[in-house]
Amino acid sequence: MLETENRESLRQVGRSPERHDIEDKLTGAAVYASDMDMPGMLHAQVKRSPHARARILRVDVSRAERLPGVRAILTGADLDYRLGLYVVDKDILAKNEVRHFGEAVAAVAADTLVIARQAVDLIEVEYEVLPPILTARDALAPGAPLVHPDLGKYSYIEAVFSPQPGTNIANLTRCRKGDIDKGFAEATWIVEREYTNPSVQHVPMETHVVIAQWKTGDRVELWTSAQSPFTVRDLFCHAFNLPLSNVHVSIPNVGGGFGGKAGIHLEPLIACLSRKAGGRPVKLQATREEEFSLLPCRSGLTYRIKTGVLADGRIIAQKMEMFWDAGAYADYAVNVTRASGYSASGPYEIPNAWVDAYTVYTNKVYGTAYRGFGHVEFFWGLERHMELVAQTIGMDPLEFRRLNLLRPGSITLTGEKITEHTGDVRKCLDSVAASIGYGELTAEEKAREARTGFKIGKGVATLHKAPAMPSNTATAVVVKMNGDGTVLVNVGLTEIGQGSTTAFAQIAAERLGFPLNKVRVTVEKDTDRDPYDWQTVASKGLILTGNAVILACQDLLAKAYELAGQALRANPCDLDHDGEKVFVRHNPDHSVKFSQLALGYAFPDGSGIGGPLIGVGRYIAQGLTNLNKETGQGLPALDWTYGAHGVVAEVNPTTGQYHILKIASAYDVGKAINPELIRGQCIGGMVQGLGTALCEGYIYDQQGHLLNPSFTDNKIPTTKDLPDEIECIIVERAQLDGPYGARGVGEHPMISVAPALGNAIRQATGAELTHMPIRAEDVWRAMNRHDPVETWAAKTPAGSDRTIHAAK
Amino acid sequence: MLHQFNYLAPRTRAELHGVLAAEGPAACLLAGGTDLLVNIRAGFMKPRVVVDAKKVEGFSGLSWSEREGLVIRAGVTINQILRDARTSIDFPLLVACGRDLASHQLRNRATVVGNIVNASPGADMTPALLCLRAHVTISSKRGEREVPLKAFFKGVKRTVLARDEVVDRIVVPAASKGARGDYFKLKRINGHDLGIVGVALCVDRDGELRVGVSACAPVPLLIEGLDADAPADEVVAAVMAAINPITDVRASKEYRRHMVEYFVRRLLDEVRS
Amino acid sequence: MKINVTINGAAYEREVPEHVTLLRFLREYVGLAGTKEGCGGGECGACTVILDGRAVNACLVLAAEVDGATLRTIEGEAVNGEHSELQKAFSRRHAVQCGYCTPGMVMSARALIERNPKPSVEEIKEGLEGNFCRCTGYVQIIEAVLEATGQPAANQEGSHA
Repeated sequence: MLETENRESLRQVGRSPERHDIEDKLTGAAVYASDMDMPGMLHAQVKRSPHARARILRVDVSRAERLPGVRAILTGADLDYRLGLYVVDKDILAKNEVRHFGEAVAAVAADTLVIARQAVDLIEVEYEVLPPILTARDALAPGAPLVHPDLGKYSYIEAVFSPQPGTNIANLTRCRKGDIDKGFAEATWIVEREYTNPSVQHVPMETHVVIAQWKTGDRVELWTSAQSPFTVRDLFCHAFNLPLSNVHVSIPNVGGGFGGKAGIHLEPLIACLSRKAGGRPVKLQATREEEFSLLPCRSGLTYRIKTGVLADGRIIAQKMEMFWDAGAYADYAVNVTRASGYSASGPYEIPNAWVDAYTVYTNKVYGTAYRGFGHVEFFWGLERHMELVAQTIGMDPLEFRRLNLLRPGSITLTGEKITEHTGDVRKCLDSVAASIGYGELTAEEKAREARTGFKIGKGVATLHKAPAMPSNTATAVVVKMNGDGTVLVNVGLTEIGQGSTTAFAQIAAERLGFPLNKVRVTVEKDTDRDPYDWQTVASKGLILTGNAVILACQDLLAKAYELAGQALRANPCDLDHDGEKVFVRHNPDHSVKFSQLALGYAFPDGSGIGGPLIGVGRYIAQGLTNLNKETGQGLPALDWTYGAHGVVAEVNPTTGQYHILKIASAYDVGKAINPELIRGQCIGGMVQGLGTALCEGYIYDQQGHLLNPSFTDNKIPTTKDLPDEIECIIVERAQLDGPYGARGVGEHPMISVAPALGNAIRQATGAELTHMPIRAEDVWRAMNRHDPVETWAAKTPAGSDRTIHAAK
Repeated sequence: MLHQFNYLAPRTRAELHGVLAAEGPAACLLAGGTDLLVNIRAGFMKPRVVVDAKKVEGFSGLSWSEREGLVIRAGVTINQILRDARTSIDFPLLVACGRDLASHQLRNRATVVGNIVNASPGADMTPALLCLRAHVTISSKRGEREVPLKAFFKGVKRTVLARDEVVDRIVVPAASKGARGDYFKLKRINGHDLGIVGVALCVDRDGELRVGVSACAPVPLLIEGLDADAPADEVVAAVMAAINPITDVRASKEYRRHMVEYFVRRLLDEVRS
Repeated sequence: MKINVTINGAAYEREVPEHVTLLRFLREYVGLAGTKEGCGGGECGACTVILDGRAVNACLVLAAEVDGATLRTIEGEAVNGEHSELQKAFSRRHAVQCGYCTPGMVMSARALIERNPKPSVEEIKEGLEGNFCRCTGYVQIIEAVLEATGQPAANQEGSHA
C-alpha cells in the first residue's frame, strides 16, 4: 500500500459514512444531462435502419426539409469522418450500407421533439435488402459475405490488435504458454465442450443523452452522460482533427453506465447536427428502444475449452478458443477479446496453454465495453467447464478447483508471477463454500426437499479480473484549501454511481488527518476544470486515483508545512498538525490555523507570504507492458481482484423453475475503504449478474430483426427476483501499491454468478446447461435432454455445442 | 406522446356515445391508459381524439347486489378489486388473477374492463372472469346489449364491439359467489411480466368445474361443463384439447403445454384438498 | 387546454397540449425535473409520482387527466430544506448509487408506507416491484424502508473473512 501507517489507527478508511453524492439525488435536485436545457436549444431525432444488412440506394430528405421548424438534417453522404477506438471502421451515419438493425442513417434537429420526430418520418430511404450474417459460425465460414470488405484499409492500433483483412475477423488475440501438444500428450483425461452467451444490454436507468454545441472557430461544447469527459474529448478531437483545447466536455450526474457509456457514442453525430444548424445547441435523449439497438450492447460469445488433466487431477494443458460475436462494428469488442484472451483460464495454474480469441463481425447490434469486459461471458463457460472436468475425472468440483488454483509462485497465461500479495483466491473460495455448507444438505434442507418435492443443489465458481487498460494509464488529483480550512478535491474520475466520490473523501480525510466533513470531492466533471483521468472503467479508479488523492494530500500538507514553518519560524520537520492547525511538535501552543494559511499567510504587521494552498498528486500504472502479439506474453495487470460465489439453488424437477435460496460472494479487496460501498457493489453487481443468468439476452429472427427491443421482452431483475439470503464476504490481503492496501471491485461482483448458479442446478438435477440465459424452460429442456431452443442466434462455430470427450 | 391528439372527457353516457358515433375510427377510448398510451407511443395506434371514459357518470365503482352480482364498472382498477374486502371473500379467484398483474403502479391505473377490451390473448384477468361466468354489458347510442365473456373475444386483440360501442360494465353473477379455486401464471421472472401462460380453475357452488386459460390461443379460453369430481386426467385432456399455444420469444409451445398441464394438476390438487 | 393541479401542496395553472403526458408536463411545463424518464412505457417506474394518493407511472398518464387532481413528486418529500425520515434512511443505508431511479423509488416507498405503515420484507418487495434499479441490487433500499418504518434490519455490513 502506498501508506505504511499502522492500519489499526485508521480513522476514516474502513468505516461506512453516508455517501457524499446523494443528497441532491434524494430530492430530485441532482441534474442529469436529460434535465439540462440551453438557450436556443434544438431537439434531435434519428432515423434508423429496419434492416440488418442492406445497401442504401437513395435517401430523400426533401419532404423533411420543408417541414416548418426543422433546422438541420444530416445523412451519411454529408459526413466524411470515421470513428473507432481501436479499429477505425464506423461512419457517423451509415453511408452506402447499413450493417445492423437499428443503425442510424439520418438525423434531424428541430425546434421541438414532435417536429423532429415528424421530420424523421418524412425522410425516405430506399434499401436493397441483403441476407445478413447472424452468427459467428456463418461469419467464419469460407466464402462468407464480408461485413467490412474494406477491413484491410482501416487504420488501427497496430501494437495491440490484429485484424484479418479479407475475413470477418476484426481481431485475433493469441496467447501461447509452454507446449500445448506435449501437455495433451501427458494428460490422462481430455475434456472438451463449448459454451454460449447471447448479447445483453447494459440497461442503465438513464439512457444516453448528449447536448452538443459547435460554435465559431471550431470550438465545441459537449454536455453528456458518459463515463469520462477526457475520453469523450480526446476521441472527439481525434475524429475531427481538432486541438484538444478546442473542445470542452462537461458531465453532470450520470444515471448509470456499466461500460455502455465508456468511449464515445452519440457525441459526434449531435455535434455535427449543431454545426449544420448554425451552432445552436442540439440535444438528443435516446429512447429506451434506441438504447437497445441504436446504442451498442455486449458481444455474444461462444467459448470452446479443451482441458487435459493428469491422473491426480492437476490441469496440465488447456486449449481455449473464443469466438466473440461482436456485431457490426469493432468498437470496444476487439479489446474485450484481448483482455479476455489473456485472462481466459481464470485463477488456475495452466502449465501449457493455448488461446485463440477472435472478434467476429456479424450484422447485429455491436458490442462495446460492459461491466466485466468479457469476463462475465467467458467465466460462464470456464466455471461450467471446471465443473464438467471434475465430474468427468470423478473428483469433487470444490477439491478440483482448490487443487488447481493459482498460488504464490504460479505463472499466469501471460508469464506474470503470482506473489503473496496478489490476492487470496483460496480464501474467497473457501469462505463461500463454508457459507453455503457446500458438499451436503443440512437436515433443514433435506426436510425442505421432502416437504416441497423440489431439489436443492449447491455450486461454487471462482473469478478474477485485472483492469483492462493501457499500460501507461494515468490520473491526477488537485486538492485546494478553502479560506476556512476545508478542502475541495478535484478528481477527473467520473462518478457514475459507484461511490468513488465518498471513497476519495475518506482517503483524503485520512491522509490529511481531517474530519470527514472538512473534505468535499466534486461530483460533476469538466475537462476545463478537472485534472486528467482516463475513464471510469476497468475497476482501476480506486487504486490509481486513490493513490493520486494521497499524493495530492501529501503535497498540500508539505506546502502548508513550508508556509507554517515560515509563519512559526520553525523547521518543517518539527511540525505536526491536526484538523484545525499546524503546530510545533515540541511546543504545541505555538501554532497557526490552516485557515490562516489557506490563501497565504499574513504576518501581524499585515505583510503576506506564500499563496493559496493547492496540492497536486498524479499516479501512473507502473511496470506494465504490452502483450506480444504472437505469444500474448507480457505484464498487463495492474492488480488482480479474486473472488468466488457459492449458490444454493432450489429447482422444481417437473417444471425447471428454480429459486436461489442463498448466494454468498467473497472478494479480496485488499482493504475495504468503505465496507457499505463495497456491499453496494457486491449486491448490485450480483443482481446484474443474476439478470444475465436468469432472463437477459437479445433475440433475433432469421432476418436479423431484434425481436425484444424493449422491456416488454428484455427483462431485468426486480425486487422480487432476489435470492432469499445474500452474504457479502470481504477478504483483505493487502495490495501493496494500493491506497491503504485497496484494490478495485467494481466489475467483479457480476462475474461468475451465472456458472455458480448453473453448477448448483446441475448438482440438484443433473441438468447440464451450456447456454445462457438459464430460463425455466432451458432447465426443463436440459433435465429432459431435449434440444435447447435456438432463439438466441448462437450457432456455435464448430457446429456442436455439447461435444464431450472423456478418457483417452 | 409525440403523436398529437385531442382529449375529450365526456360526462354522461349520452355524450360518450355521441362522441364515439361521430368520431368513428379516429377515436380511442382511454381508461387506465396502460395499454392505449403504450400503443400510441409505439405507433400502433394513431387516434385523432382520445376519449376519457373515467369521468362518465355511472362508470366508476365496484358494487354488489344479490340480484345482479359483482358489478365492475368501466373505471374500476385492478387495485380497487384487490382492496375490496367483499371481493376477497366472495371472489378470491379475481384477487388471485389481479395480484400478479403488472406492477403496483400499473394496477392503480389499469382497469378490468380495459384488460378485456384490449383483448390480448394473454389478458391477465380473463381466466378468472371466464371461470366465474362473467358477462359484459355493452352500450352505445343504440342501447345496451349483454354478451357472455366467453363470446366476447373474436381473435387476437379483436372483440365483438362495434366501432361506436363501449363496455359499460362487467358483471360476475351472484351464482359464482363463493366459487373455490386459484390461478397460476407462468412468468419469466418473479417480478412483473406478461403471462407466458395463465390458468385459473374453479369449482362453483353447483359442483361444476371450469378452467380458464390465457396465452394459449388467439383468444382466452374457457373449458366448462366438467364435473367437480372428474378424474384429473380427464380434466387435463379436456384442457389440452382446447389449447393451441405457439412458440414465440417468450416460450416454446411444448413448454407452454407442459406448464398448462402442470398448473391444471396442481390447481385440482389444491381445490380438492 | 388549461389545467389546474395541486403539486406538493402548491397550486399550478398551465396551458398544455392535450397529447402531453404527465411526465413531460411536470418536467417541461412546471419545471419539476426530479421525476425521470427511464422507458416511457410504464415498465421501469422511474417516473413514479403520487396522484390523488396513489402511486402511478407518470409516463402513462396524460396531463389532461390531472385537471383538478392532487399530485406529489420527489420535490415535495423534503420539507423546509430537511430530508424526510425516509430520505434520511435511504442515505444512512446507502440505498442510492447513480440516483436515477431514486425519485421514483422514494415515491413508491412513500406510497407504500402510507398504505402500510409497517411493511414486511415481502410487502416491500411487492410494493417496489415496479421500480427498476440497476445499481444497488435493491437490498439496501429494502433495508432503508425497514429502517424508516421503525423496523431496522440487522446490520448486514459485509462480514470479514
